[in-house]
Amino acid sequence: MADLDQPLPDAKRRRWRAAILWSPVPISIVVAIVIGAAIMQITDNDSVEVYTEILRGAFVGPNLVYTVAWAVPLTGMTMAAALPLRGGMVNLGGDGQLVMGGLVATMVALDLPLPGTARLIVAVVAAMLAAGLYAAIAAWGQVRWHVPMLISTLLLNYPAKGFASYMVRFPMRDPTNGNPETHMVAPDARLPQLIDGSLSSSLILMIVAVGLIILFDRRTVPGFELRLRGLNPRFAGYGGIHLDRQAVLTMFAGGAMAGLVGASIVLGDQFRFMDGALVTPNYTWTGLMAALLANGEPVGAVAAALFFSALQIGGFGMERATSIPRELTSVLQAIIILLLATRAGLKRHLRLG
Amino acid sequence: MRGIVKRFPGVLANDGIDLAVRTGEIHALMGENGAGKTTLMSILYGLHQPDAGEILMRGEKVRFTSPIDAIAHGLGMVHQSFKLFNTLTVWENVVFRAEPQRRGFIDKPVARARVRELSDRFGLQVDPDAVVGRLPVGVRQRIEILKALYRDARILVLDEPTAVLTPQECRGLFAVMRNLASDKRTILFVTHKLREVIEVTDRITVLRDGRVASRLVTRETNPEQITRAMTGRNVFFTARRGKPQLDKPLLEVTDLTVGEGPKPVVNGVSLRVHAGEIVGVAGVAGNGQSELVEAIVGLRDHSQGSIEIAGHDVGGKPLRDRRQAGIAYIPEDRAITGTALAATATDNLSLGFHRDPPLSRGVFLDLEAMRIRARGLIERFTIKIPNEMTAVGTLSGGNLQKVVAARELSHQAAVIIAEQPTRGLDVGATEFIHQAMVAQRDAGRAVLLISSELSEIMSLADRILVMYEGRIVADMPADQADEAKLGLLMAGAQGHG
Repeated sequence: MADLDQPLPDAKRRRWRAAILWSPVPISIVVAIVIGAAIMQITDNDSVEVYTEILRGAFVGPNLVYTVAWAVPLTGMTMAAALPLRGGMVNLGGDGQLVMGGLVATMVALDLPLPGTARLIVAVVAAMLAAGLYAAIAAWGQVRWHVPMLISTLLLNYPAKGFASYMVRFPMRDPTNGNPETHMVAPDARLPQLIDGSLSSSLILMIVAVGLIILFDRRTVPGFELRLRGLNPRFAGYGGIHLDRQAVLTMFAGGAMAGLVGASIVLGDQFRFMDGALVTPNYTWTGLMAALLANGEPVGAVAAALFFSALQIGGFGMERATSIPRELTSVLQAIIILLLATRAGLKRHLRLG
Repeated sequence: MRGIVKRFPGVLANDGIDLAVRTGEIHALMGENGAGKTTLMSILYGLHQPDAGEILMRGEKVRFTSPIDAIAHGLGMVHQSFKLFNTLTVWENVVFRAEPQRRGFIDKPVARARVRELSDRFGLQVDPDAVVGRLPVGVRQRIEILKALYRDARILVLDEPTAVLTPQECRGLFAVMRNLASDKRTILFVTHKLREVIEVTDRITVLRDGRVASRLVTRETNPEQITRAMTGRNVFFTARRGKPQLDKPLLEVTDLTVGEGPKPVVNGVSLRVHAGEIVGVAGVAGNGQSELVEAIVGLRDHSQGSIEIAGHDVGGKPLRDRRQAGIAYIPEDRAITGTALAATATDNLSLGFHRDPPLSRGVFLDLEAMRIRARGLIERFTIKIPNEMTAVGTLSGGNLQKVVAARELSHQAAVIIAEQPTRGLDVGATEFIHQAMVAQRDAGRAVLLISSELSEIMSLADRILVMYEGRIVADMPADQADEAKLGLLMAGAQGHG
């Protein structure tokens, strides 16, 4: 029998393997911190002080609010990547979906002749629909014409960004403004602020969305089907799951999350659509990394997103307080990801070998 | 045998069994799996020592410490799996370790003559000079019997001898058994097949849970009584091997073609499987069997033809609709198609049931119900797994296949398609899967068995099709098939029928 449960040559080796296979994320973080400290010692910096400043920059006083405000869109974009990833699909089109969502939210909030709150609700829903449909195009292309989603999602970013650029430069431009920006959204069509000027009620929207996704993942029929697809698509299809329909719907849901993020930023923070403002902070790619680290599992992905938020915002604090540029936090982030990726590769290698 | 007791760690395999067999009779030892038949026979044959009890032969107390002892006392055993040298001839196998010698050399003429004489006397019809590896299973079994007779066995134990035989071969075996009995030899026939017991034996001892449940005289009993003794309850008795219901085709494939061009992978295949029938598709792997099955279940598109399941036309419908119409499918590759290795047993066993109560209500899963159901299946199919939340990737091939079988057979689907269902499995797991399929057939389902293992097809199927280069080249009842004939057809010789 070609057993998968063949005992390994000896128990010691087995334990060693198990240690590598199951070494959790914390070990990678500790190793990254040690490497970071080494870099600082080489460059004659006090590593304890630097790390203290990162922590202070992320969590102390108003900094905690900044971290949370940064975590809201980042967590949203993490979910936009994690949902498809749970089913084994990679969504590289977060930027395009984010921009589509933000643009549509702005259009509706500016021009729809409805009373304020209704306009706000319609704007958010329309943003999610538009971004969801935009993402679903890629899935449909794969299902219908076998265009790999890995490529189509990535390429679809460009037309979306280009279209939005055109819109804010010409038809939607606020002519009184020197920058390519739209008019301001009326105050009654904005998301209510929790802390004026720094945190909007998009936090609540995001908490609800994440809660629903976790519930979906753990407790619902389509969540179960998506998870099994991620573990073995052939098995899922054999078991009667409609893979094509599932791909389109899942990409729609991922895109809708990105659209929600776009609407949240436009209607809760900037109150207008500014060219490039949604993609510059790199929420999409940091979110994709967070999702990849957790393999699409929503709770882990949220944890990773929160960790990256703290690290990035902490980096600003560190830069202010010390002579070290905040790129150091990007280095730490990269080391953690490399370590975890190595571990995943090693796991596969050991399983084969 | 009197008061035989045998304990294994955690199990009392034999609990005070008395078994009395008269000279010259055919005595059936019956019981379900785990009733203690095999243990009792192993004790008789000297493979195990009893913890208590004694064995008497012709009134004398004997004690066998090994099979060699047992053989010396005139016992012979024919095992389920044969112990023969496939590259040697029949006579060489028969005389092995008891060779007639002349000046230190094997006396070949004498050996051959003795083997031939024994074969003729009991109607075994074995050519002493044939090479064992080329002989069909039924003949190999008769060689095992010859081996025992050559050592002048007065008592022959046949352990599930018909499991590997076609019906035709069974009839031959029964004739041999009667010849042996009339020669005042005693036969202990270990089996769980009622029809055979009724047909050939004189008396019956039924074991259940390590004890004698019943002693019966064959002429005075009936299948219901035996079944009740075996199972300890009143079982709705479906006459084993009731005729297939030929008016009820559950799977009907007409002119099915997969692929294009002058030589499509599946080329105009038509087949029917009726209720209560196992249809076996034999063929060398790669002659379109996999594609045929995938087209039937809906994993692959077909270019032409129709597929009906229990009267519903499912051609062109998605796989889920076909499953709902009544298909269960045990796929060829349990680790790639049949399971998700990284998923738990619960998840693997739930797929396909998770959309309906009790596993879900509306859109929400009932995780507890999923686990309870998984635990039930693990127990019923005796899957060896730490618990229901263990990933199935850690299981052995046999247990993994049981996971697949447990899920698919619990669909109670009208049509069961099993593709290479026992490939790579050990004897125990193979037997388990085979019995499960026979049980499905006897429950009135239609079973389509695809196997490149001829013995599997021959021992299970009621009707045999042979597939060659995408076509069905032969269609025959199982009792008209033999390995030689099928082998030729599989190799591309012109078929008929």
